[in-house]
Amino acid sequence: MLAYRHGDAGAFETLYVRHKGPLYRFVLRSVKVRALAEELYQEIWMRVIEARGRYSVQAKFTTWLYTIAHHRITDHWRKRGLQLVEADDADPPAPRAYEPEPRAEGRQDLQRLAAALAALPELQREAFLLHEESGMTLPEIAAATGATEAAAKSRLRYALAKLREAMGDG
Amino acid sequence: MAETDRDEKVSAGYRALGSEEPPRALDEAILARARVRPSHWRVPLSIAAVVVLAVGVTLRMLPQRPEAESVALAPQVIQTPRPAAPVPAAETAKPAVPAASRELARAAAPAAPAADSAVARAAPEPRMRAEGAAKLSVAPLTPEAWLARIAELRKQGRTREADESLAEFRKRYPDYKIPESPR
Repeated sequence: MLAYRHGDAGAFETLYVRHKGPLYRFVLRSVKVRALAEELYQEIWMRVIEARGRYSVQAKFTTWLYTIAHHRITDHWRKRGLQLVEADDADPPAPRAYEPEPRAEGRQDLQRLAAALAALPELQREAFLLHEESGMTLPEIAAATGATEAAAKSRLRYALAKLREAMGDG
Repeated sequence: MAETDRDEKVSAGYRALGSEEPPRALDEAILARARVRPSHWRVPLSIAAVVVLAVGVTLRMLPQRPEAESVALAPQVIQTPRPAAPVPAAETAKPAVPAASRELARAAAPAAPAADSAVARAAPEPRMRAEGAAKLSVAPLTPEAWLARIAELRKQGRTREADESLAEFRKRYPDYKIPESPR
């Protein structure tokens, strides 16, 4: 991004190719409507381009990019009158020890997983998508979403528990 | 990421949902935008536009010299409401505004605010004269300035005008104690 800031357009293209798929899926699965997702996705990149002059290395580019995405999507929910709140007060269920199993690629499992993902509270879905699509760590998720690390961890664990349950593995 | 926060089965299932990519047209639009260099002229141009606008507005608000002079030559009067009925011929034949009033108006004109000048401009002088002095009132002038003007008239030998002006002054300020010299 610093190279792009100093006029290297090719540096932006490299960044774009690396992040376009994960960011697009993050936005698409957050708002669930393709036309809206494309609009938001383009706006996020426009903000990146416009902010090039102000960019400084304070965090990984990935964290910076998804911070912009988080703000844009949060604005979108607020415009629609939705307020993002924590949906679960109880402690998340304790994860089971990982046991290797055959890959759950059956059509029904996937349909249930997709439905459970769509039904997740926004903040939990956001934490899960950031984790899966960008590979961000808990501190990075916390930084990008303006949450504490504990809150980010709680959201992710709730999301994983619900998705696991949807796949018949709860 | 701690191992307890990972779930390989969920991750595998999620990846199997698909790996959508943005449309090619969207890619091209974003990349094209990214190649546009930021314009260094944008800020200076906007500043220049604001300066030009500000100067233009200021110049328009300043009084224009030729108009101000023509207003100064015209009597500074405030027109009272006119009656609906037409003015009788006899009244139109009356003499114009008394000389003293014209003189006072002339003295007061340069200091008159723009709004009053606009009133004077709106009413042509000949018409005002025809309507007679009874319908006109002289623009405000401080007693001291008025008396100074009378003294000036006397000094110039314009005794008749000075007398008329003094008479007008007494009507306007009956309680004012006039010093000896202007009389």
